[in-house]
Amino acid sequence: MADNTYDAIVVGSGISGGWAAKELTEKGLKVLLLERGRNIEHIKDYVNANKELWEFPHRGGRTQKMIEDYPKLKRDYPLNEIVLDMWASDKDCPYIETKPFSWFRGYHVGGRSLLWGRQCYRWNKWDFEANGKEGIAVDWPIRYKDLASWYSYVEKFAGIQGSKEGLEVLPDSEFMPAMELNCAEKDVKKKMEAFYKNRRKLIIGRSANITQPHHGRTNCQYRNRCWRGCPFGGYFSTQSSTLPAAMKTGNLTLRPFSIVTKVQYDKDKKKATGVEILDANENKTYEFKSKIVFLCASAFNSAWILMSSATDIWPDGLGSSSGELGHNVMDHHFRTGASGIVEGFSDKYEYGRRPTGIYIPRFRNMYDDKRDYVRGFGYQGGAGRGRGVEVAEFTIGAGLKEALSVPSENWGINFLGFGEMLPYHENRISLNKDVKDKWGLPVLNMDVEIKGNEKKMREDMRNDAKEMLEAAGVKNIQTYDWGYEVGMGIHEMGTARMGRNPKTSVLNGNNQVWDASNVFVTDGACMTSASCVNPSLTYMALTARAADFAVAELKKGNL
Amino acid sequence: MERRELLKLIAVLTGGAVAGGEVFLSGCKTGAKADAGFTAANISLLDEIGETIIPATNTPGAKAAQVGEFMKVMVTDCYTLAQQDAFMKGISTIDEACRKMHNNIFMDCSPEQRHSLLVSMEKEAKEFNKAVEEKDIPKRKEFEKAGKPYDFVGYPLHYYTMIKQLTLLGFFTSKTGMTETLRHIPVPGKYDGAYPYAKEDKAWAE
Repeated sequence: MADNTYDAIVVGSGISGGWAAKELTEKGLKVLLLERGRNIEHIKDYVNANKELWEFPHRGGRTQKMIEDYPKLKRDYPLNEIVLDMWASDKDCPYIETKPFSWFRGYHVGGRSLLWGRQCYRWNKWDFEANGKEGIAVDWPIRYKDLASWYSYVEKFAGIQGSKEGLEVLPDSEFMPAMELNCAEKDVKKKMEAFYKNRRKLIIGRSANITQPHHGRTNCQYRNRCWRGCPFGGYFSTQSSTLPAAMKTGNLTLRPFSIVTKVQYDKDKKKATGVEILDANENKTYEFKSKIVFLCASAFNSAWILMSSATDIWPDGLGSSSGELGHNVMDHHFRTGASGIVEGFSDKYEYGRRPTGIYIPRFRNMYDDKRDYVRGFGYQGGAGRGRGVEVAEFTIGAGLKEALSVPSENWGINFLGFGEMLPYHENRISLNKDVKDKWGLPVLNMDVEIKGNEKKMREDMRNDAKEMLEAAGVKNIQTYDWGYEVGMGIHEMGTARMGRNPKTSVLNGNNQVWDASNVFVTDGACMTSASCVNPSLTYMALTARAADFAVAELKKGNL
Repeated sequence: MERRELLKLIAVLTGGAVAGGEVFLSGCKTGAKADAGFTAANISLLDEIGETIIPATNTPGAKAAQVGEFMKVMVTDCYTLAQQDAFMKGISTIDEACRKMHNNIFMDCSPEQRHSLLVSMEKEAKEFNKAVEEKDIPKRKEFEKAGKPYDFVGYPLHYYTMIKQLTLLGFFTSKTGMTETLRHIPVPGKYDGAYPYAKEDKAWAE
């Protein structure tokens, strides 16, 4: 629009921003979708999607140059040759660590929706009640029943495969036909569930991979190369799903290379009037006006924008009047569990590369189980038959070649725990104005750690994995703890939490900033607690719900 | 994210062997030299050593997969300075060791002579690496105690071990290794978790 005025501005084009753009445009609003990084066009720009391993000079590994250029990303698997172009530059976009924090970011259209692990689980009713019941942090302003229909709504569009289980702890989604457990997983499932009398379950990992054609997308082809971008549209991403839907309405304007520097705020009306951006290429400032603003820039960057806004009224930024903006940082702690060998399936193998694993829903601190910590954890993992290993008789030569070119004798299985992290007020991010990024903007300082509750839980995560594998007759069981730094879960949450009271929360029950009712935050920032399940599906549902509310309020003239 | 990729990556990189993934997960601070000192002659030598480790059988071997050229790329780009030095110094001593054993340089030895030399180097490397790993224990313990993510910083392993790791990695991720020695289907199209397996069927490459 010539006068730079829209009905709504959505900041960020990842999972939450894509949903906001789709919902708002489909409801007739003219929407400007701002993305700080470059555009990645569906299929056309998935440059590595169809490459074979031998086409990568370092066969997918990492070079010393990459290690030097990515001092943060190098800490875990995301740094590799295959998806290097889909991670934000650590050098251009630095941050400060008062305590170790791994922040892995996707700065491009689609954000981390292109790279995500696609695991999709509904929260259960207790997840929304736990804070209030246990007197931890603040109570969620909503309950499961407020979100249930929105879960259904987003699941039907996104396409989630999984099995109906009827479990209270892990409510069923609207499922596409489930992917299959393999023979070793079925065996472990049977023995484990019998041993625990069905109080512990092993099910297929529910994921946003489609198993039937869906809205012009082709069903999963079992390549397991999702994070390169899928040329079939086999998994949910902004590009495969929400962006084309928003484009189809004719109401969407997408503007890449647009770093939002602040929300413009009218103190008399107590409302936002739009946003200011810095064009990342031109280094020039622009202003855009709108009736409503959706911040979906990822938990930390949405908080960063709020901290940088309306500072003439609140020195610590828009939404800081509660003293909670930037606080209560959460992630999921993991990297501990157990693995072993499943015997008896040497005459079976896998055909195809299934892009999901298994899931074991939470069983700790449920029903009559009580531990010396609160909340719980689930497991992801799976079984597979690897390649053969070197044998003592053949260290070199034809015998070695033969030994390495057949499958291993037995199947391996791995249970990897993912635990809930509590919201601690003192776990916070803040602006560091002494350090600037490539564009001269202040960077974030991370001061976050796990505490006693998480550390006790990790012992159970490791020991319970071993116990369940033993119960299933798995051999050569080894427990592991690779060590965990906050952020490695890549599930940042909590920096602008929802609540019932403007004195103790940044957002209300409809994701509106208490101090600016036409500003909505619907990404991980809004989370009041973390549950132990992967968060993205909940962001989708919260975003669709907030968009519906926002448009209804607009129509009533309330915004 | 693709957390499961981590374990798979290690499996791919090690080609089923015990060690090797360290190179890629290493967080070493020392940069690499752009010109480590590779020549046409030592690349041919590495091709022949690779071929001795993974020979042509009814399918092509390491030489056909151009593992010498691959080692040049990997050592130059991915190794730390200390690893590079150990690798380059090591390969310059191979002919001397070969003369001692066979009175001949490696390139002029018969396949049997080459084989027996590498078997002896294999033994030497095993002892050498054991000592290296013991030296590394305090550092590893320190990481574990601090609950820090595992950092695979290590002293360079024996140069022969590096050659072997790179041969296995290079061969089993090459086009011939993946499609002729192993089986590879880029687009499987479906999944079967109880697919019949008959003894001696080849493993999937990915």
